[in-house]
Amino acid sequence: MQSFSRWALALGLMFPALAPCAAAAPPPPPLPAEHLSLERLPPRSPHWVYVVDYAFGNEIDGRVHLYDGDSYRRLGQVGTGFNPGINLSPDRSTLVAATTYWARGGHGARTDVVEFTDNSNLGIAHEIVLPPKRLQAVPTLFNVAYSDDSRFLYVAYMTPAASFGVLDPAKGTVLAEIDTAGCVLTIPSGPNRVSSLCESGRLLTVTLDPSGHEASRSMSAPFFDPDKDPVFVQGIRTTHGFAFLSFLGEVHEVDLSGAEPVFVPPWPLVGLAERGHWRPGGEQVGAIHRALGRLYVPMHRGGEGSHKDGGTEIWVFDLASHRRLARWSLQAAGLKPVLAIEVSQDASPLLFLATDAADLAVLDAATGRLRHVEKEVGQTPWQLLTP
Amino acid sequence: MRSLDRLFEHSARALAHRSSRRSLLAMLGQALTGAALLPLLPIDRSGRAQAAEAAPKAPGPENCEYWKYCAIDGYLCACCGGTSTSCPPGTSSSPITWIGTCHNPGDGRDYIVSYNDCCGKTSCGTCECARNQGEKPLYRPSRNNDLNWCMANADANYHCSVSVILGVAEK
Repeated sequence: MQSFSRWALALGLMFPALAPCAAAAPPPPPLPAEHLSLERLPPRSPHWVYVVDYAFGNEIDGRVHLYDGDSYRRLGQVGTGFNPGINLSPDRSTLVAATTYWARGGHGARTDVVEFTDNSNLGIAHEIVLPPKRLQAVPTLFNVAYSDDSRFLYVAYMTPAASFGVLDPAKGTVLAEIDTAGCVLTIPSGPNRVSSLCESGRLLTVTLDPSGHEASRSMSAPFFDPDKDPVFVQGIRTTHGFAFLSFLGEVHEVDLSGAEPVFVPPWPLVGLAERGHWRPGGEQVGAIHRALGRLYVPMHRGGEGSHKDGGTEIWVFDLASHRRLARWSLQAAGLKPVLAIEVSQDASPLLFLATDAADLAVLDAATGRLRHVEKEVGQTPWQLLTP
Repeated sequence: MRSLDRLFEHSARALAHRSSRRSLLAMLGQALTGAALLPLLPIDRSGRAQAAEAAPKAPGPENCEYWKYCAIDGYLCACCGGTSTSCPPGTSSSPITWIGTCHNPGDGRDYIVSYNDCCGKTSCGTCECARNQGEKPLYRPSRNNDLNWCMANADANYHCSVSVILGVAEK
């Protein structure tokens, strides 16, 4: 010890800067042993968002990321396979993924299946195997959808003959397959009605009996012109049905609260000078806050064929007066074009935007103020869902 | 401290010893000679003047701007081991397709183009190309490129897309 003290003194004299080290307090005690545990989800928040990543670069590996718009943290992930159709149950407790797997990864025997994820723990609670004819396409709310009372689950099929499956989620069974005469997707209303979009611009509505089989069907008059101004299939839920935006920026609201659909006269997002120049576009083309009656639309400058281009501005409309309330520039906020949009349904709403660079932006939905940008949430986040 | 001074002095001397001014000159000389020799290599430069005056080359099949791709949305098979009209080895072509109408600037004609998917392997992941001229939503499937057109294949996984001329579009 004596020789050590002498060396320390000598070092201190030679290198004055080391002197405090030599006299420093003993090191802190070692860290305690850690315990491996499983993180539990906190109670569901209206500011959560389910980010549907199609993983277009390796499509067999689609995912849904759960993200918290308040803490700016990822809370977990659900594996959703190939070209999944994703939706939430009416009580938001379950996330359904209608998807496809192959026995050997990218090839082998095909299994189409609906997987039910328990949103309280992100574990798969159960599944229903489908006939191998599920519609494999980009995300909409109508690839898979619940009846309003959760009694039935509808899954769009295409082989390419179009039909849909009626499932009983409680019993885990496929009840029926219903031919839709070329009309596509499953737009749910009430406890037992399913509407499908037709090539002629009409809506086919099938009413089911209590066993899930067809009781009756009706075909509407055309409510849009698919040649001159087709509507996007990515409908947006309204208080009484869904709104469909057209390529040129018309809003077609469809009231599905009665036995037959009622078409509200369409109204424009764009003024005469803007028509044909400013358009909606992307993969999820609008969001509605139902209680506030606000419609949010990513808009871009573009011509024919630009309907999948992302928005460079968010235009905000009042659904009652059809008045445009705001234009929020995304370029000014440093954001890339927006391909998907959703708004939380609470009284202090957040607006979520997914960009073509796979960034997720969180905005104040009342003011447009950018609160946060989460970089690279997946590869191709093309749909957002809020509880 | 003195020992540190010695160490640096030794290193500097050793470096100076290894790299003489003569070797520096030799190095520069080699570089200059090499540069002078380059133009003497047997390269045919006869077309250079012509190329400088010619219009920019039209995009080819590995380029998303290639004229036949006007309504494609997916990965270009030409970048994935196939061509604009052939599927890559080990895949299978989809018998059902969507179509587009594309203008060929080379001859001024419009052509009906069939876009077939190549199937049985996961996404190629190279040369993603999304152009949607005349593309229509899912309720008009024959004009829609959002569907997996491998849906009816035995191995229904999507790999990439080709574009095949069906004929001249009638006005």
